[in-house]
Amino acid sequence: MEKLLEISGVNLTYQSKTSETVALSDLDLEILDNEFVSIVGPSGCGKTTILSLVAGLLSPTKGEIVLNGEKVKGPTTRIGYMFQRDNLFEWLTIQKNVTLGLSLQKKKTQENIDYTNNLITKYGLGDFKKHTPKELSGGMRQRVALIRTLATRPELLLLDEPFSALDYQTRLLVQDDVYKIIKSENKSAILVTHDISEAIAMSDKVVILTQRPGKVKTIVNLNFNKTLTPFERRNQPEFMEYFNQIWKELQYEE
Amino acid sequence: MKNKKQQFSELHYKFIRKLRIQTVVVHTIRILLLVGFLGIWELATATGALDPFIASSPSRVVTTFVDLIKNSNLLHHSWVTLYETILAFLISTGIGLALAIVLYMIPFVRRILEPYLVVLNSLPKIALGPLIIVWMGAGTKTIVAMGVLICVIITTINMLHGFCQIEDDKIMLMKTMGANKIQTFTRLVFPANIPSLISSLKINVGMAWVGVIMGEYLTSKAGLGYLIVYGGQVFKLDLVMTSIVVLCILAGLMYGIIALAEIYVNKKR
Ligand SMILES: Nc1ncnc2c1ncn2[C@@H]1O[C@H](COP(=O)(O)OP(=O)(O)O)[C@@H](O)[C@H]1O
Ligand SMILES: [Mg+2]
Repeated sequence: MEKLLEISGVNLTYQSKTSETVALSDLDLEILDNEFVSIVGPSGCGKTTILSLVAGLLSPTKGEIVLNGEKVKGPTTRIGYMFQRDNLFEWLTIQKNVTLGLSLQKKKTQENIDYTNNLITKYGLGDFKKHTPKELSGGMRQRVALIRTLATRPELLLLDEPFSALDYQTRLLVQDDVYKIIKSENKSAILVTHDISEAIAMSDKVVILTQRPGKVKTIVNLNFNKTLTPFERRNQPEFMEYFNQIWKELQYEE
Repeated sequence: MKNKKQQFSELHYKFIRKLRIQTVVVHTIRILLLVGFLGIWELATATGALDPFIASSPSRVVTTFVDLIKNSNLLHHSWVTLYETILAFLISTGIGLALAIVLYMIPFVRRILEPYLVVLNSLPKIALGPLIIVWMGAGTKTIVAMGVLICVIITTINMLHGFCQIEDDKIMLMKTMGANKIQTFTRLVFPANIPSLISSLKINVGMAWVGVIMGEYLTSKAGLGYLIVYGGQVFKLDLVMTSIVVLCILAGLMYGIIALAEIYVNKKR
């Protein structure tokens, strides 16, 4: 498989009036095409920082980030970012929310509009196109947020704890939805989470970070049958083994 | 959807009936309160408990009102004040909003000007009256300027505060979708702040009246403020009361228009 993202020797230090925080030091990480990678680690170890760097919202203090052979400098529309909260705009309809990126980038071509309309219908939101976000449930809103992210056809999706604001049952359902959508649209993704089972249920490999300053501690490759949904994975015998393995790695961190 | 047609239980209808009765009771008491107040006022002045020369009375207000309209100058005075107020309202909202946008878009300037805004905001604007008269001359310009001065800083502060409340996540989202600074403002920050703009308008409607009447107290040849000052000086308290009543009605109407606009905007959102 092709290399999609290459983070090499990245350091990031936050400066503030009273302190200097080294969030990441010497971080190396590679992500392949069509790969779904989870990042887990103790809170405050720099997970969100990694995503901000990949999105070009921050520049590394040292090192470089290369996306599809091109160095990331400054905010780039080549990635799609999904946050913990859906951040839908309450004053826009679902359809306008979804096409926001296209209209900002002046790419509202008929082809792109058809593509998003297709996504909306395909993923069960067809009846809600003209509704406002207020009228949707939390799970549906997060699906809209994902379609908004997909609309501009980014090369890589960055998901920062996108399910942690949902209640447990909804979370399991939305994990299945999001997984299905990402796989069927052939996207690569980085998922940041503090939920070990979520990481195991959804990804191809789990990257475990050390305490701050964060760097890669271990990478666990997951070998599940490709046809399983995240929910089905949870019933596999390997699931518990992976869980224990990752749990132990994180324990040594405490 | 959650609110599809639904069969309601008897309990629900009971609940709705109770709500309706409450509304009716509230409105009735409200009207009775006004009628009672006017009645007692009238009675007290009619029986001599209050001196009608000092306290005026509802019937005298009505007579004065009719009289003033017939002599055709009340409409003129009301119009002058209304015109000045609308002008002050529009100018101050426009300048305040423009200033807030500039300060929001250029954080460096915002940092420099912050203490000045705070000081100007706490300054009692009437203190500037004599200066403005000297600079702008006695007349409409000064009166409108008073109205503008009173509203403009608080509009800027309120709008700027609203702009700065937008969550960082949303700003980051706009950046990752390729928005530039202007797009972030016009597509996110401004639309998200329509409610705070409307609440600013509501405050300004009231404040513009304060400023304009203050201005008219300082210097004027016409207007409701002029009538009130004049009435006070020549001890025509009926004239003062009547002018105040007209002022109440006009201010209420203008507030009502903004409130309607708010309902309209909320429906559209
Ligand atoms: N803007 C900032 N300024 C200063 N320190 C920051 C800033 N953002 C994050 N940090 C610090 O950097 C570290 C990593 O933060 P973050 O990447 O958000 O961690 P995580 O997402 O893994 O919880 C934390 O210790 C946090 O306090
Ligand atoms: Mg985080």
